[in-house]
Amino acid sequence: MSDMETGDWRVGVDIGGTFTDVVLWREGSENLVQVKLLTTPDDPSRAVLDGVGEALAEAGIGAAQLTSVVHGTTLVANALIERKGVATALITTQGFRDVLEIGREWRYDLFNLDIEMPTPLVPRRLCLEIDERLDATGAVDTPLDLEQLPGIIAALGAADVKSVAVCLLHAYLNPAHEQAVGSAIAQAMPGLAVSLSSAVSAEMGEYERTSTTVANAYVHPIFRDYVERLAGALQELGYSRELLLVLSDGRGIAADVAVKYPIRLVQSGPAAGAEAARLFGELARQRDILCFDMGGTTAKACLIHDGEPERTVNFEVARETRFAEGSGLPLLIPAIDMIEIGAGGGSIARVDQRGLLQVGPDSAGADPGPACYGRGNEFPTVTDCDLLLGYLDADSFLGGKMKLDRAAAEKAIQTHLADHLGISATEAAWGVHETVTANMAQAATIHAIERGLDATRFAMLPIGGAGPVHACSMARKMGIARLVCPAGAGVASAIGMLAAAKSFEIGRAAPAELSSLDFAKAADLLREMAEEASALVSSAGAEEAEVTRRFSVMMRYVGQGYEIEVPVSLEMIERQDREALSAGFSECYSNRYGRSEDMPAELLSWRLAVTGQRSTLGDTLGQRSVAGVAAPVSKTTRPVWFDAGFVETPVYKRADFGTGSRITGPAIIEENESTLVLPAGFQLSVDAALNLILETTS
Amino acid sequence: MSKTELNAVRLGLIWRRLDGIVDQVAETFLRAAFSVVVRDNYDMAFSVFDSQGRQLTQSKRSIPSFMGTLPRTLDAVLEKFPVSQLNPGDVIISNNAWIGTGHLNDISMVHPIFRGDELVAFAASTAHTVDIGGAPSPSAKDCFEEGLCIPICKIVVAGQDNPVVLDFLTENLRQPAETLGDIRAQFAAYRDCNVKLMSLMDEEGLDDLIPVADEIIARSEQSMRAAITALPDGRYSDGFDIDGVDVPLRVECTVTIDGDQLSVDFAGTSPQVPWPINSVLNYTQAYARYAVKCLVDPDAPNNAGSLAPVHITAPEGSLFNATPPAPVWGRHLSGHYVPAAILGAMAPIMRDHIVAESGSPLWNVYFAGRHDDDRGNFVKMFFMNGGHGARSHGDGPGCLSFPSNVSNQPIEAFEHQVPMLVREKAFIPDSGGAGKYRGGNAQRLVFEARGDNPITMTIRHERIHYPPRGLLGGLPGRAGVDMVNGEIIEAKSRSVLESGDQVVFETPGGGGLFAPSERDDDLIKQDIESGLTTAAAAREFYEYE
Repeated sequence: MSDMETGDWRVGVDIGGTFTDVVLWREGSENLVQVKLLTTPDDPSRAVLDGVGEALAEAGIGAAQLTSVVHGTTLVANALIERKGVATALITTQGFRDVLEIGREWRYDLFNLDIEMPTPLVPRRLCLEIDERLDATGAVDTPLDLEQLPGIIAALGAADVKSVAVCLLHAYLNPAHEQAVGSAIAQAMPGLAVSLSSAVSAEMGEYERTSTTVANAYVHPIFRDYVERLAGALQELGYSRELLLVLSDGRGIAADVAVKYPIRLVQSGPAAGAEAARLFGELARQRDILCFDMGGTTAKACLIHDGEPERTVNFEVARETRFAEGSGLPLLIPAIDMIEIGAGGGSIARVDQRGLLQVGPDSAGADPGPACYGRGNEFPTVTDCDLLLGYLDADSFLGGKMKLDRAAAEKAIQTHLADHLGISATEAAWGVHETVTANMAQAATIHAIERGLDATRFAMLPIGGAGPVHACSMARKMGIARLVCPAGAGVASAIGMLAAAKSFEIGRAAPAELSSLDFAKAADLLREMAEEASALVSSAGAEEAEVTRRFSVMMRYVGQGYEIEVPVSLEMIERQDREALSAGFSECYSNRYGRSEDMPAELLSWRLAVTGQRSTLGDTLGQRSVAGVAAPVSKTTRPVWFDAGFVETPVYKRADFGTGSRITGPAIIEENESTLVLPAGFQLSVDAALNLILETTS
Repeated sequence: MSKTELNAVRLGLIWRRLDGIVDQVAETFLRAAFSVVVRDNYDMAFSVFDSQGRQLTQSKRSIPSFMGTLPRTLDAVLEKFPVSQLNPGDVIISNNAWIGTGHLNDISMVHPIFRGDELVAFAASTAHTVDIGGAPSPSAKDCFEEGLCIPICKIVVAGQDNPVVLDFLTENLRQPAETLGDIRAQFAAYRDCNVKLMSLMDEEGLDDLIPVADEIIARSEQSMRAAITALPDGRYSDGFDIDGVDVPLRVECTVTIDGDQLSVDFAGTSPQVPWPINSVLNYTQAYARYAVKCLVDPDAPNNAGSLAPVHITAPEGSLFNATPPAPVWGRHLSGHYVPAAILGAMAPIMRDHIVAESGSPLWNVYFAGRHDDDRGNFVKMFFMNGGHGARSHGDGPGCLSFPSNVSNQPIEAFEHQVPMLVREKAFIPDSGGAGKYRGGNAQRLVFEARGDNPITMTIRHERIHYPPRGLLGGLPGRAGVDMVNGEIIEAKSRSVLESGDQVVFETPGGGGLFAPSERDDDLIKQDIESGLTTAAAAREFYEYE
């Protein structure tokens, strides 16, 4: 690349558990500068600066030429998982101090007599009550007793609290009492971080809203300090323009807004990965994508339906038991809907009491990692099995940077599995590979059913180090006939950050039955929301003219347990068009469930997504076609196990392929960060965006 | 290995797929279900059986009440309709409490699955329906008051709806659209199950499921027998009194471990009563199996093999094996004591893996009345849990459902549906029984009636006279209390509330485990700091100053 190029330079930075990825891109260019380096857990901003510096040097530009830095981080999630937040207090309505510990009174594991319920982030002695009460219409039942505040403030001071959450009953309808408490505390204790539930998450449901507000408060000061440090460090590099942060729903927002709502960043990195999957899917002209991300410690699935990632407002973090829904802290925040479908390449395999193979949920993680890493784990993992089966190569793992110990893998499988089952080590390894793939296929299929979607109609997009190893087998088990393997999947989250639009979503609970909905009041609420959201997004640098607003309302039939999102327009609400709203709901409902009912409907909450201009990254990447050889020739072969035996299989480098190249399985295609296993029965072609397109032939 | 050889790897994959099929099919049904308890609390079960009627698997998302009930339902169905009378596309229905799950609100159905002309499997399901007609009340004297009993009959005959059965249902239910909607959703799930099972058999080259079923059942049975063998042989007994309706009732339980067999017998338990709190044997067995699985082999699969080594009996005509026409609607008011009896009996040999008694049977309250605005009438059921019993390795969690698993409802949502304000929902200090590990705290709920129209309140609460017991030296939890305007009311009663009336419910606290003298001082200190234990109680029970 020539030095000192001008134009809009943007950089995306993703801090993951193991690696920090940096991607640098000049608007309009089809080239991306990619840098991957180890995360620096003691001070994550160090790896960021090193990576950005390296990328800038490679592009031959200075930091001053950057126009935006987009960033995602696991800091918030880690602080919650490791319980490393600050001393936090909760102020709640008289009579409700135990809302966090009582929770939903429900056991997440029916058969385990020793289950641990999540420990609240605020100890009971710091859950303080104040006399006040709103009723279910938001009207004041008991006025706020301001005279109790000095006592509460003294208690906060005595306990050396650093952050406080205020969550009062029905405050999602009327924030006045929370605001009065908040400003009194801010006045008396200027250094204290204050989170109000009406601002953090104006949703109905006191346990979940309190949990969300408390989690926000718990990480608030840490996150604020981190962003300040990062901005300062970037400034030292010579960069002083906007710093955008990626939220859990894949939207980007200015750092000064993000620091108020750090809980919105709990799934920051993975959400950007889903944005990347959306972008890659767009490039391959696939609007329905199942993104399958399998790394060393986790395997995740996310559905992109009709070009948009599936979203949720019910999130859960820091689970006591892996995969056990309900064992963590609930968060009511807009998030891309992803589920963990497995424990990744580090999942440990064993023989259970019934003499059958089980894989996971326990994992050897990244450290000590699989037996073949030679770091002291003696138990066989999925990665060990993949190595024995020839899917992975001991010498070319991570581009040859890390040599794997095949003998250690074989010994682990022989001792712990094959000897117990009376079969060969390779057969046992094949069993583990098939079992873990079947588990993931089932979990992903059920996830789709839960969303009212049919997974067989989706194309699979595998990312992560181990995703492409298991993808074809998993697709076949799910009845999926088409896969898309994008270029640059190894730094997908960082690419997704560049693709993310500046955007923010807010929600306001306002339960009402459709038949008695007060439209004038609803229109007022929507206008108020529009004002609030516009202010947040324009501060993120989006020009007012580019901003689009999308209103929607969560609705269901009265008495149902799940609600669905129904798009609405402000104009429709202003003209009080009950019939249009009803018809819109029926249509959305029957799209999802295949029928609609003749029953009364109700509204739960209004939502608004305000979005600035979309990134043009997709337009340019779509044209980076590199003409390829029609039938590339492999330079090497190796024995690879398929179904019932080893087959001498050609091994390709991804770089061997260009647009128009075409081969059929069996084959192995290696990249630096991952290996694609292409079994017989699949054909591979390369499209104009350099995606590998895999299709079943039988 | 050859494709057709049934080694451990291949068996494991097929088994996993069978499990996956019922889970997928159950999820398809859940998404379309109307009944709120079905969707929110998984008050349903889906199972697959082989052609001999042996249960192979049951959906994971389910509740204890349905453990092993569908095999009995299928047996009864086959008694009436032998295989020779079953055709592709048939669906057989019944909600008979004695062959089903113990009350009429659970409708069970069975669908034979054919491969060509050959019967290869059965799909079966049970799901709760809110209304089943009739007039269920806390004073029902027999099962006929409790709603419509659907005899074993074909609701679908060779793919065609049976109009007679559908008409009977439509005429006898208050909300036929919802109930029939749930029933039809299960038909769709059966079709789905059919297709998925056929592709499994095609892809695995299986002509019938028997060889796979033999292996699944043998391995499950072996594993359960091995787990039982590891327990010391002997007879272990427990007995205690429970509140009952008009007079206290007795529960007696003997667990016998003999080599690789475990049997539970309830001889000595009170006779059935003319109140709707009786448990049919099927319901008793479900909760007994649940307790045994938790204690002996929590990972045991839910199939005929795992169930085989465990025998559960109760004298005919007793509270735990009631005979028709006993009223059974509130069967949980006796049945939820079944795990307590088994845990109590086995505690001496399970010191490392036991739970003291919890604040159950589950508490609920019905509020019925009329909104002041144009929303019309309302009937609202509200659940509240007591403290969980102390466990072998730690305190019992406060307010956690056991042995059932029913969540609470957000107060903010409740107040939108019912013209009441909840003034308090908080732990009651000192309500968990003392012990090395203390029981979980109970909760106090204060409801205030607000509307202009009166509200009728119906409650049926237990553990007022006999609080949850501690085990192995632990002390009992606090008994429950029900009050209106400061006056104690009957725990099984109906009251009318006027605007301004205040109702207080104090659920029972969990029992403690092991002697209080063994409790760690740090834990006592923490409890005093948090306020879950008062200094006075610490002094009284732990001699802590």
